[in-house]
Amino acid sequence: MNEEEEPTRVSIVAGPLVGPVLRRVVGMLAARADLPLDRLDDAVLVADLVAARAPAHVAQATVDVALQSGDRSIDLRVGPLRRGGGRALVVDAAVPGVGNVIEQLADQLDIECEGNHEFLHVRLSYDGAD
Amino acid sequence: MTPIAHTRVWRPGTQESDIRLTLPARPENIAVVRHMLGALGQAIELPPAVVDDLRLAVTEACTNVVRHAYPDRSGMLDVVVRPERERLEVIVADSGRGMGPSPDRRGPGLGLPLIAALADSFDIDESVPSGSRLVMSFMRTRRGPAMRAL
Repeated sequence: MNEEEEPTRVSIVAGPLVGPVLRRVVGMLAARADLPLDRLDDAVLVADLVAARAPAHVAQATVDVALQSGDRSIDLRVGPLRRGGGRALVVDAAVPGVGNVIEQLADQLDIECEGNHEFLHVRLSYDGAD
Repeated sequence: MTPIAHTRVWRPGTQESDIRLTLPARPENIAVVRHMLGALGQAIELPPAVVDDLRLAVTEACTNVVRHAYPDRSGMLDVVVRPERERLEVIVADSGRGMGPSPDRRGPGLGLPLIAALADSFDIDESVPSGSRLVMSFMRTRRGPAMRAL
């Protein structure tokens, strides 16, 4: 993530408001990162998947996401998740007939461990020509 | 791609509705807060007039933080939203210089009076050790925007 500025952090009690709120914030920051429309859509889709699947894997009652928009990129760091939750969240994002959507859309996908918790780091970027 | 289905139904007045957004206190991030409130208002079916007042009041509170809280350093803007059964509580906080005369005297100084007029209740929490904390609440059932009463 960009170290020059603190990330934007969203924390929403796991429930039906995670999706509407997270997708809007991710959409705003993806637009600010000057991502083209198809990659902006990808970022919002990843946000929707995180919102739908993360509540089953969070370490506490909230879904927490740190967001950083950069030069034509956006980073999402989801967590704290329970141990094993990072991989489980990615696996849960598989769609029949499509495959694993987060894996297909992310330019970078890492699971970071901190103590007993995990964080899923997803980067979406665009390096094509305008 | 098929939209992701969110099967749980929002129930006002439960703890499953708290939202916290923490952002660098920069002008462009005020728009992020406004958009988040718009999405929330839609999701919980707030009347448009309440959403208008909510967005305007919270914009004023956030603008105060961006302009006055951190005159010589960067800092964070913290927005907490608690939808409850009858009302929506919003807290806008920072860990900056706190309330008081600001060296930045540009503008008409209408921020706090405007917030007080728009919100159904408004309080400056003076118990915080540093920074400022504004607590606003908005009734969910309002016949029209508060601005009409001004």
